[in-house]
Amino acid sequence: MKAENPRQIGARVQRFEDVRLLSGVARYIDDIRLPNCLHLTFARSQMAHGRILDVDTSALEDIGYPTWVFTGKDIGDLSMKAHQDVPEMQYSEQPLLARDVVRFVGEPVAAVLAEDPYLSEDAAEMVFIDCDPLPVVGTMDQARDPSIPPIHDGWKSNVFIERQMKGGDLEAARANAAYVVRRTFRNQRQTGVPMECRGVVAQYSPGDRMLTVWSSTQMPHLVRTYISEELDLPESRIRVIAPEVGGGFGVKGQVFGEEVLVAWLAMKTQRPVKWIEDRRENLIASIHARDHAHTLEAYVSKEGRLLGLWADISVDVGAYSTFPFTAAGDPGMAAKVMPGPYDFQAYEATFRALASNKCPLGTYRGVARPSAVFSQERLMDEIAKEIGMDPIEFRLKNIIREFPYKNVLGFTYDPGSYAESLEKIREILADDIAAARETRHSKEKRIGVGLACFIEQTAHGTPDFTRRRVPIETGYIAARVEMQPDGTVVIGLGLQSHGQGLETTMAQVAADALGIDPKDVFVRHGDTLTSPYSVGTWGSRGGPLGGGAVHLASLKIADKLKAIAAHQLQSNKDQISLGGGKAYITDDPSRYIPIRTLARQALRNVENLPEGMIPGLEAEYSLDGPRDGTYSNAVHAAVVEIDVPTGKLKLKRFVVVEDCGTIINPLVVDGQVRGGVVQGIGSALFEHMIYDEQCQPLTTSFADYLMPLAPELPNIEVHHIETPTPLNPIGAKGLGEGGAIGPAPAIANAVSDALGVEVNETPLTLNAIWRLSAHIRGEAS
Amino acid sequence: MTQTTLTVNGQTRTLEVEPRRLLADIIRTEFDVSGVHIGCAHGVCGCCTVHIDGIPRLSCLTFAVQCDGKEINTVESLGGFDATHVLQQAFKSEHGLQCGYCTPGFLMTLAPYVEKKVANGEMPSDEEIREAISGNICRCTGYHGIVAAVRKAISNQLEGQQA
Ligand code: FES
Ligand code: FES
Repeated sequence: MKAENPRQIGARVQRFEDVRLLSGVARYIDDIRLPNCLHLTFARSQMAHGRILDVDTSALEDIGYPTWVFTGKDIGDLSMKAHQDVPEMQYSEQPLLARDVVRFVGEPVAAVLAEDPYLSEDAAEMVFIDCDPLPVVGTMDQARDPSIPPIHDGWKSNVFIERQMKGGDLEAARANAAYVVRRTFRNQRQTGVPMECRGVVAQYSPGDRMLTVWSSTQMPHLVRTYISEELDLPESRIRVIAPEVGGGFGVKGQVFGEEVLVAWLAMKTQRPVKWIEDRRENLIASIHARDHAHTLEAYVSKEGRLLGLWADISVDVGAYSTFPFTAAGDPGMAAKVMPGPYDFQAYEATFRALASNKCPLGTYRGVARPSAVFSQERLMDEIAKEIGMDPIEFRLKNIIREFPYKNVLGFTYDPGSYAESLEKIREILADDIAAARETRHSKEKRIGVGLACFIEQTAHGTPDFTRRRVPIETGYIAARVEMQPDGTVVIGLGLQSHGQGLETTMAQVAADALGIDPKDVFVRHGDTLTSPYSVGTWGSRGGPLGGGAVHLASLKIADKLKAIAAHQLQSNKDQISLGGGKAYITDDPSRYIPIRTLARQALRNVENLPEGMIPGLEAEYSLDGPRDGTYSNAVHAAVVEIDVPTGKLKLKRFVVVEDCGTIINPLVVDGQVRGGVVQGIGSALFEHMIYDEQCQPLTTSFADYLMPLAPELPNIEVHHIETPTPLNPIGAKGLGEGGAIGPAPAIANAVSDALGVEVNETPLTLNAIWRLSAHIRGEAS
Repeated sequence: MTQTTLTVNGQTRTLEVEPRRLLADIIRTEFDVSGVHIGCAHGVCGCCTVHIDGIPRLSCLTFAVQCDGKEINTVESLGGFDATHVLQQAFKSEHGLQCGYCTPGFLMTLAPYVEKKVANGEMPSDEEIREAISGNICRCTGYHGIVAAVRKAISNQLEGQQA
């Protein structure tokens, strides 16, 4: 009978959302058009650090059309606050419009509104911001230099926070080490660049006293809560809608001052207000990422066993702490995940968040893990070289093989396929490794193979955030599943889908539990009015927590359907199965009732229900992540070819072996992996947010901020191993971010392999490779 | 203000247009078209690609007044609400899109390319396909599914011709 009920989980279902996206009818934030709307343009600081003497808006008085202008003096104490509640933290507060001091180029200083976006732009250009320059903090060294004054009032230094994490006996590890390997690694500042910039539209309707805010966000409920608290409005009177969202990647996974301000402006002007960010603003003033410096020291036994690891981690987090993951997010995450997939029990890390006069740092796909894994996996290759072992052998010797595994910091890893993935990739790469060896002495063309082996903690639950004491506070995802009288289903989902295909994958999960066709499941998301409260889509939680919540809520409805069917078939609930749109007796499928009929009875012809049963087919479930999350694992491998005379690097091959537990939809999983990988390739080779010594951003357009284009990429090969996790009702682990984590270390290891030099910094631009290959050309580097 | 006559997806209108207004903005606001997206507004990402008299052009680098008397087509004209164009169908089956923001630009760049290859009976290599989309940025898919979709749209039609 199962044949009539093919499992939807695991099927390569084409996405339901695609038709509206392909046809052009999808409505993104700039497609929200309201009558009588005012358009907002920000006058932003052009100075990295300065005391505001005057914001002169007098030129607007005779501009010849109506304008509205607001500065820091007009908005009371409205601000963005994002505090980690620990004694070491120095707090920053960013007024929604700078009041006394500007602290980075791009910081909003004045809000200028007009009835047309061209006119508001014209008007914003006429606002004159008079600033006295203050000393600039532009490098990590400057941030740690006590002679340079802190950028925030009342601060003791330019360090947001410095803390430690440790476990085991590092002294003993050091004492027993036959080898001590110490290296310093650096990853550049980047930004996430969704193809659609940010944007906010707000409208207050006095009739029902409802404030509606449309925002291109990954976390509508958190935007609602912040607006409610900051503007002192009841949360029940605020509706936040994320329309179609053109990519997020974590960039849109923060609450932004602009969201709060646009809401406030709509209340203040009693007109709809619309702000659409332009690309320059997006590059310099949304959210930046990475910008890590790590020094690691590994202690290794004579036999090549890792005994312990010491780490010093600095991150330049920019001018302000961001909500809800705070300035402590990146360094803390790097320190937490540095032990990785290897078995050792002594570790000590010092990590700090340094302030600078740059755009604030926030979450971007992988959050600290691309940098942590870069350092960890470069170090593994360096150790292997130093002790004369093959890098894959060395990893296999130290890889964790027994699960559950309690790591040095007390985190428990659920089962994975760490060793199998390594072995599988070795098989796949055998020919490339041989080919690389052949070119070892070439002065023309060198081939190199490099890999990165890593785990990713996904779907972390509330305890993880409680430990961190950051304002995100919790991590559960809720789903409300509602069957209609015709047997179709609506899911109100606490996640927000911005490319992940959740309208399809969540429908697949519900379809399996309810025995219906996924096409009959309609997933609504991104609207606080129709979705239950949840933290939104970030941290690789969609599949496991969204999927788990949908599964468990659907099971509650399935149970009720079975009870109604049992009553009418004069059977027992336990003997009823659901599948193919029918509720049937498991041992005698010829006896069945269509689910559509049962739904109608539950909601319309309720006289047919078993005695005492309450009408309705609605269920909700909130699923929190496991205490320590669930750990996905992967190995990424890059094969590069370097033209020594020019320094040109060609990525010949990129291979992924990954394990994210149960795969809901292979089409979507492969897409997430490949998309992530290409962003990681961007980190490795191209993307760099550059500032000059005065903290002026230099990469302010797509002509300067370079991202991967199709011609420079190979097809990305993806292989799967499926180790379902016992910690999740459907066995799924998170996978949205993993793709972006491995490429930089894999490529750096490949370049190091090809050229026979250490590669400890990204991006590996043409210039960088040219310098790294100088010795082969017989030049001084 | 300059009097400008535009035909967008078959709908002709004469408007008074400020010379500095971008074609992208006029199509979006005056013709209520949502399938033209702005990714950069400085001519690098290809999101805003439309057809001007049948040729793919960047509507963020074109002023509306330059298009007086011209026919402009956007993604809406390709396969209607159901996205029935063979390239749209191939994007769907090969997962050539995720957030969909870059997608109209890719489709408008590629539709004439696919048509030409099919007319010439040529199956391009992956490298050639990648070259054909070198003026479009997609941040979600890593281009893999897009390349596969082009391959499929062309090979399906070539096979159809043979049959
Ligand atoms: S929006 Fe026109 S090329 Fe980017
Ligand atoms: S699908 Fe999102 S940018 Fe291409």
